[in-house]
Formats: sequence, C-alpha cells, structure tokens
Amino acid sequence: MRARAGAAASLGRLRVIDWAPLLVLVLLCGIIAAINPRFLLFGNFVRIAQAAMIPLVLAIGETFIILMGSIDLSIEGVVALGAVLTSLLVKNGANAHDLGVAGVGLVVLTGGLVGLVNGVVHVRLRIPSFMVTLGTWFIAAGIANAALGGIAVRINDPIVRGLVLQRVLGFPWGVWLALGTLALGWFIQDHTRPGRYLYALGGGEELAALSGIPAARVRILAFTLAGAFYALGGVLSGAQLGLGNAQVGQGRLFTAITAVVVGGTALSGGEGGVLQTLVGVLIVTVLANGMVLMGVSPSIQTAVQGLMIIVAVSLSIDRKRLRIVK
Amino acid sequence: MPAQRIERLRRFLPVATLAVLVLIVGALQPEFLNPDTLLDLASDTAVLFVLASGVSFVILTGGIDLSIQAMASLASVIVALTVDRLGYASFVAAVAAGALSGWLGGLAHVRLKIPSFVATLAVGGVLAGTALVVSHQHSITLGATQRAYIGWITGPWLGIPREVIIGALLLFFADTVQRRTPFGRYIAAIGAGEAAAYASGVKVGRQKVVAFVISGAFAAFAGVMLAGRLASGSPTLANEQLLPAIAAVVVGGTAITGGVGSIWRTLVGALIISVVRTGMTFIGVDIFAQEILFGAVLVFAVAVTIDRSKIPVVK
Amino acid sequence: MNGAALPVLALRHVGKRFPGVQALRDVTMELRPGEVVGLVGENGAGKSTLMRILAGVYQPDDGEILLSGRPIRLAGAADAMRHGIGMVFQEQSLLLNLSVGENIYLGNEAAFTRYGRIEWHALYAAAARQLAKVEVGVDARTRTADLDFATRQMVELAKALTLEEAASGHLVILLDEPTSVLEQTEINILFARVRALKSRAAFIFVSHRLDEVLALSDRVYVMKDGAVVAELPAAGADVRHLHSLMVGRDLRAEYYRESLQRPPRTDVVLAAESLGRAGAYRDVSFALHAGEVLGIAGVIGSGREEVTRTIAGFLPHDAGRLTVFGQERRFSSPAEAVDCGIGYLPRERRTEGLVLFLSVAANITLASLGRLRRHFLLDPAAEARVARDWVARLGVRTPGIDAICLNLSGGNQQKVVLAKWLNARAKILILDHPTRGLDVGAKEEVYELIRSVTGEGIAVLLTSDTMEETIGLSHRIIVMRDGVVTHRADAPPGGKPTQLDLIEHMV
Repeated sequence: MRARAGAAASLGRLRVIDWAPLLVLVLLCGIIAAINPRFLLFGNFVRIAQAAMIPLVLAIGETFIILMGSIDLSIEGVVALGAVLTSLLVKNGANAHDLGVAGVGLVVLTGGLVGLVNGVVHVRLRIPSFMVTLGTWFIAAGIANAALGGIAVRINDPIVRGLVLQRVLGFPWGVWLALGTLALGWFIQDHTRPGRYLYALGGGEELAALSGIPAARVRILAFTLAGAFYALGGVLSGAQLGLGNAQVGQGRLFTAITAVVVGGTALSGGEGGVLQTLVGVLIVTVLANGMVLMGVSPSIQTAVQGLMIIVAVSLSIDRKRLRIVK
Repeated sequence: MPAQRIERLRRFLPVATLAVLVLIVGALQPEFLNPDTLLDLASDTAVLFVLASGVSFVILTGGIDLSIQAMASLASVIVALTVDRLGYASFVAAVAAGALSGWLGGLAHVRLKIPSFVATLAVGGVLAGTALVVSHQHSITLGATQRAYIGWITGPWLGIPREVIIGALLLFFADTVQRRTPFGRYIAAIGAGEAAAYASGVKVGRQKVVAFVISGAFAAFAGVMLAGRLASGSPTLANEQLLPAIAAVVVGGTAITGGVGSIWRTLVGALIISVVRTGMTFIGVDIFAQEILFGAVLVFAVAVTIDRSKIPVVK
Repeated sequence: MNGAALPVLALRHVGKRFPGVQALRDVTMELRPGEVVGLVGENGAGKSTLMRILAGVYQPDDGEILLSGRPIRLAGAADAMRHGIGMVFQEQSLLLNLSVGENIYLGNEAAFTRYGRIEWHALYAAAARQLAKVEVGVDARTRTADLDFATRQMVELAKALTLEEAASGHLVILLDEPTSVLEQTEINILFARVRALKSRAAFIFVSHRLDEVLALSDRVYVMKDGAVVAELPAAGADVRHLHSLMVGRDLRAEYYRESLQRPPRTDVVLAAESLGRAGAYRDVSFALHAGEVLGIAGVIGSGREEVTRTIAGFLPHDAGRLTVFGQERRFSSPAEAVDCGIGYLPRERRTEGLVLFLSVAANITLASLGRLRRHFLLDPAAEARVARDWVARLGVRTPGIDAICLNLSGGNQQKVVLAKWLNARAKILILDHPTRGLDVGAKEEVYELIRSVTGEGIAVLLTSDTMEETIGLSHRIIVMRDGVVTHRADAPPGGKPTQLDLIEHMV
C-alpha cells in the first residue's frame, strides 16, 4: 500500500516537470513580445534560429552523454579543433587544400575519433568522464592552437560559407542541417538499440548489466557520436565566422550544458532526450535574443546561464534517492 | 595488498618524478640549477600553488571546484577597480568575495544536492559573467599610485621573492588546518568514507561548505597575487589556470576520489607542473603543445591515483 | 536420484568466499524436471548468494554446476538466460525510467530489430502477450515507475517467462522472495502460474514465509551458515519442524553470557510513544532502560530496520513522540542523535561503521574530536593516548593505532566501532546486526563486550540476523510485523522465550 502511494506521488511530480520547460519557453516568448513586439518579426525568428543552430548540434551530442549520467566537458576543444581543421582542409586563405564536402567529412570523423578516445579511456581505465573530458578538452584545444599558431584562417569554400549565407525558405542551410541532426539524434535515441541503452544505463547501470546490456560498448559509441556532433558544430562555427581560429569554442560548453539541463534532461541520467534539448536550446537563445532586444549587456549572459543551470538541476534532482552527492 | 602498494606509489612517485625532471632539465640547461633560477621558478609557481591548495581541500572531500579560475579573474578585477578607494582593504574585499562565492557554491552543492562539478561550473559562469560586466570587458591596468599598494606581493624581501614567502605562509596555514584541526580530519574522513563519517555524527554538509569557502578564498587570493604580479586586473586574467591547478593536485598524488592527499603533495605537484613548463620552454616546445601535454598528464595522473573501489559504477 | 529423470540442474560441492566470509561451503543440490524446490534458511544462511551464482551474477570459487548433466560456467546474467536460467530478483531489477515492454525485452531487442530500427509494434505486442501470461492488465507502454511494487513484481515474472520462447529445452526459473510485496490474490496468480508451467520449467523458490514454501514446493532444502543442512519432501513437513532445522544448534545459555545478564536499572533513557513513519512503521511504543538490552525481532519488511534507523538519526519519524533522557527529540541527521548520547553500530560495518582508509586512532576519535582540541588545534599526543587506551581495554588486535582499518579482521573492526562510541561517551548504543559476518570466536567477544557495557549502565537496542542471538542477549524483546509491534516478551536469564514463541508473531 505504501508503495502505491509513493508511485502516485512521483507520477504527479514527473508530469509537471515534463512540461515545465515548454511552459517556460512560451512564457518567455510572451513576455519578450509584450515588451518589444519586434521580437515577433520573421527576421528575428531567423536570427534566433541562426543563433540556435550551433548550440543545438552541440547540445544533442551532450544529451547522449548526460542521458547515461555522465558528462562531456570536451565540447569547446573539439569545436575549436573542428573549426580549425575545416579552415585548413576546405578552400582557404592559408594553404592550397580544397577538399570541400570531403573535408567536412574528415572533420566530423576527427571529432568522432576524439570522442572515441574519450570513451575508451573513460571505460577501459575506469576514470570518471568529467576528468577524462577535461583532459581532452585541453588536448583538442591545444592541437587546434598548435595547428594555427594563434592566427585565423579565412574559409573560402562556397559550400561551407553557404551554410550561413545561402537560404532556403528564408532560413540558412545551417539551420536545416541542425534540424537534420536533431532528426538523426531523435531516431538514434528512440528507434535504435544503442539509443535505448543510453536510457537503460542512465536508469541503473548495474541493473542494465544484469540484463546483458554491453555497457562499455554503448558508452564508447555514445562518446564517439557526441564527438562527431561537436566537430559538426565546429564546422558550423567556422562557417558562421567565415574563418577558423582556436577561440571559436569559447563559451560553447556552458551554453550546451545549460540547454540540456534547462530542457529537462536529468544530470543523473535516464530522463529527457533530444527533443527536450531543443526546447532548452530555444529557451537559452530566446532569452539571449530578448536581452539584446531589451538592451541588456550581453556579457551578463554567462551569469544568467549559470543561475539557470543551478535552478534547472535543483528542480530535476530526485533528492530522496541520493544521500551521498560528490 | 594492492591498496597499500597504490598508496606507496602515490606517496613516492611524485617526489621521484620531480627530482628526475629537475635533473633532466638541469642537464639540458645547466643554468636552470642556479639558485636564482630556482627561486624564479618558485615564485612563478606560487600562484598556481595557491590556486591548487584551495581546490585540494575540496578534492580531499571527493568533490571538485571548477569555479576557481573565474574566481581568480574576478578577484583581480575587484582589486583593480577598488584599490584606489579602499587601499589595502580591497585585497580583503577580493578574498571575502571568494569566500562568499565558495559559500554559495558549497550551499548549492550540499543543500540542493547538485553534483559539485556542475554546481561549481555554474557558479564559475556567474562569476565570469560578473567579472565581464563590472570590468566592461576590459583589462584594467593599475596606475602608478595604485601600484604602491601591490608592493607586498612582488619583489624580493631579504633576497627571497615575496611570492615564495606568501606561498610558504599559506602552505603552513593549510598544513595546520589539514593535520591539526577537527575540520581537517573531518574532510579526510568524508573523502575516505562519507557514509561512515555521516553515521559517526560528522556534520558532513557543513564541513563540505567550509572546504568550498577555503577553495574560493584561496582562488581569490591567487587572483590578487596575479593582479599584483601583472599590475592589472582582467576578466580573463586567470583563464587557462584551471587545468594546471587540478593537474597539480592530482599529479602530486591526491586522488580525485578523495580521502588521501595533503598540501605537501599539492606543492610537489605544482612544482612538477612548473618544472615541466619551464623545461619545455627551454627545449623550445610551443606553448600550445604544452597544453596538449598537460591534458594528457592530467588523465594519466588520474588513472594512476584514482581509487576505483570507491566508485562501483564509473559515470 | 533414485533412478528418476536426469536432474535439469545440479550443484556439486559449490563454495563461495567473500573477503572475510565463507558465504557458501560444499553445497550440493539438484533440481529435477518439473519440480519446485523450496530453499529456506535464516538471513545470512547463503540463499541469496546461491541464487546469484545460479543466475550467473557471481561465479563459484569451488565445485561445479551441471545443466542437464553437463558442467557449465555461467559468465553473466545474459549467459545464464541463454542457458535457460531466469531469475526473479528479490530487489527489483526493473529500470523505472523505461516502459514495461522495454523492461521485459531489455537486452533482447534484437528479435524485434530490422535494419537497425526497433519495430516497436512487434515488441509491444510480444510484451503484451507476456503480461497476459501473468494476468497483469497494464499497457506495455506504461512507464515502469508508474506501477506499484506488486505489479512490478509480476512484470519481473513476465520478464523471466520470456525464456519460454527464447530458450529451448527445459527451463530453470529462480524465484528469490517473490511474494514479499504481493497481496494474497497476486500470490495466488503467481502460484497458479508456477504450477501451470511445471511442464516446461523447474523452479527454485526462496521465501521466508515457510507456509508458502510448503504449499508450493515438492521438496525443500534447508540452509544454515552457508551449507545445506537438510533436504526433505514438502509433503508431511510442517513449519515448526522446518524452523527447528533452520536454527539447528541447540541453545547453550553460556554462549550468550547469560550469567552476566544483570537486571536493568529503573531509569528510562529512551522512550518511544506511538512512533510512526509513513510507509515504514506505525504506533511503535517501548521504553529502554539504562543497562538494558532491548531486542527487536522481525523479518525483512517488518519495519524494525526503519525504527532502528530513526533512533540513529537517519530516518526522522513523522508521528508520535521520541524521548531521549527526558527531552523530546526528532532527529534529522545522525549528528543530532550523536549529540544526544546515541551511538550507532551499523549493519554495513565497512561502509557506515568505519572509515576503512583512516587509521584505527582516527576512527576511534572521529565522533569526539572536539574533546581533543587545545587552543583550536588537535593534540596528537592526547589522541594517541586515548586510542592506545581503547585498543588495550577492548583487546583490539592491530599492528598499531596508526594502521588503517581496512586490514583488520571483522571482529577487530567491530571493536574499533564500539571504541568510537564508548570514547564519545554514548549512553545508548544501537547495535544493528552487530555480529554479521563474524566468526564464532569474534562473536563471543562481541557478546562479552555487550554484557560489560550494559553492566556499566549503557542501554542497548539490538537487532540481529538470528532469533537465537536476539533472545540470548536481550532483557526484553519486542516483535514487529508489517510495521507494527505484535508481541512483547521478557527474556530474563533462565526464563528465555523460545523461538517458536516469537516466530508466530513474526510471519
């Protein structure tokens, strides 16, 4: 009888939590539109979409990791590496390479390789993911820096530049690419075995192992995929700036993690997903957009995001289940 | 007894590594072993050591503080903005701000039960944003009159760099706190076995918060020292300091799982990082390539020192 | 044996050691086709370890397992399932964040996957068929967290029954305490299902409800101290007989130092009045006197663990009054209980009792560091003096006070925990399974210590793995069942109640 009462209570709690992020997004849009109606102009929607595309691609990768209850801090390093490699492999202002789309493919593969290293070291050496990825963050950023020696390289490839400059139905190609990534992420998460195993590992890794789930392989795969996504984010960053330099990653980790947790994916794992992350990314970008419209200094954004992380995480953590938190 | 073997390894490997590194760099570049060069090295290490000492209190409990570099930068900005009006009190204000931020981060971690790496990542964001806003995103150089106040941080005193003296005083303070106070014992117990410490009546939450306060205050102090050395404050002054600081703690033999470690190990770790840096610059390794090496060293050191029996499921 | 069909599953001289404990020794048993074998024993007798070996979770250190006469090695739970061995776990093994259907086929989605895509319709249709087998009327797409415990238990059974389609040949299904959260109607469904499946599967049934074991099983194995001590047909056996086999050894009064049991004093140090905690226990009242050992008896789920943890400060009560030394208290953390003079010797000695990686001295002084402070600093000389003193008084066998506790034997670790509380001048000790995992000699030392501290006026609240120990040590005993006190008994030296007197109030 006691069990039943408990189950019902958690049911009610979860339902509210499930819808809260969407509600926040709608409220946020309403408030900003009321203060400044220019928010509702189509041009502003395009601006928001363009601002959201890179965080979305990155946050989808991070969502996979957080679903398992782990964390990946290497985003900024891999983004920098991705942007720098893009600028060196496609038609550019520093060397004679002109690999075009194949170059982009190589960049994504490289990101996957960094993710693979993350996963293998994390799983085989049994080191917590935040430590491994803290290390690879700096390794990847160091490689990006060393490759360029602190300078910036122009990107002249029409396809890469076209991701930002050419529009379809009013939105740049990059936005459609980000949405395609979202669809891919959703398919992996909801319709493939590895995707479902992310939830199983997040829900209880020891129990999942009892059912014969290959936990190590799933973890390595997830980190690899995430790395590839970050590198794609790096390509987009390079496209947006029109150049590759080692600083393009700055601030990306923070925004991605904020978006994931604000969207409702629990840090403890097993709850949430990429659609929630889309909502989270929109909350973060709409808020930033709104602050610009209302004339608030953009440099306060990091501070606001920090507070959002604390609020979102503390709302989603099931404190009864945990006594020891490190 | 593998546990004891690992413990021996943790204890002696870092010191041996330091000795070997000093000899290697000395062999390649004999003037490295001059007392003056070594003193320079020590004073260059001081900021890193102070930063690492603070975070080592948190790591001892088994947590982590990722907000230290943002705190150090903010502290440099506070000093640069207020030293005109407040004089020496601006240093106190900066360190107090560090303690306050540590307290808030600690509360977020303990009360809201947010894992420490996320709570402090978030607090770090708040601090970085604050530093950007109050500095208007500019680096602030100290004027001549303001520089009079920072004399206590740099330059020699009786032939010894003041940074080294400050570092030694903080070393003495931290060592006393860790070995001779109930608080020091409690954080070791929390790191080594939180459940047992809790069941023994240790007020686990309160002790953890104090560890974060110390970490924040030390980070701010490191920022003050940086401001003094560079005669400026900037919202990005201490960027790129987080990884070396954590690496220093871990390379010194303190496990990130908590429980084992001491301030002396952090000292050895900070010196290792410093010697490697100096050595690489001597040999002509690019500064960016050094970052790659530090990342790899961090992962390697964690792999050697970590106590896997404490984490049944590695997340 | 007896020329009957080849056993579907047989164990030959199986042994299993954990650090400091021989969990199983020389276990030989067999399971014939279509048979339900009951497995009974007190807590810690080794039943769960044995089941986990059969389910592939643990690997045995000695002996062999034969499946249909062939020796096999079960590398993991998935491997066991491939061999047709499924388990319904005592602790729930379902992932609450997944749907019921996903849980049923977790790890076996391959059958429903085409070109890498899971065909959810097929999976949920198959899951619905499994649920129909156990007559659970929930939608397979329901989130598992939304089910109550009893339904989850039936889903566990449905999950184990997927073996019917997945594995060929005769199946083995292990039921580890499957009825503890079920109501009678659900138990009936479970039993009917088990009986109906006997043509396909053999069962091993573990339960502390002996009447159920006798009702469902064909044969019963009795375990004690990690070994099988009896095997008997269920027909003709009765609960009393089974129970006497489980307890085994005849009582020796002196084993528990009964001659040292002094009458308690009259002053009440701790009193519970109608104490309650939602979902755990209710209306619990008792008084604990100085110098008294009060035993709480009850099976898992009776609420006695929670009562103990409430008084130790882990689980605050939400009804009634708790009075400690005349003051009403409600503890929200162990620190508050410690401040009131309560010391807790936990069941999980290695995680909650001791900080294993700290020294003996640091563990002994951990709960009373404030007293060792002089001018804000700890006095190392005073600490060493205190630690050496306790090591000598309790006879802790350690290389030195600086040795880390990890390397001490279980009995000596327990003495260090006790020294910690005596040094903290605790007046009330909560002993939660104080002799778990200790060998006989170490147990006797602990008994002696309990007599000696109560002789000095310390009050003890005791819960224990065995009834025998509870009765032997206690002055008075309260019995709990389903969260309420069902019986109270005095246990003076020479006038101890028998286990059978108490057991009828426990189950």
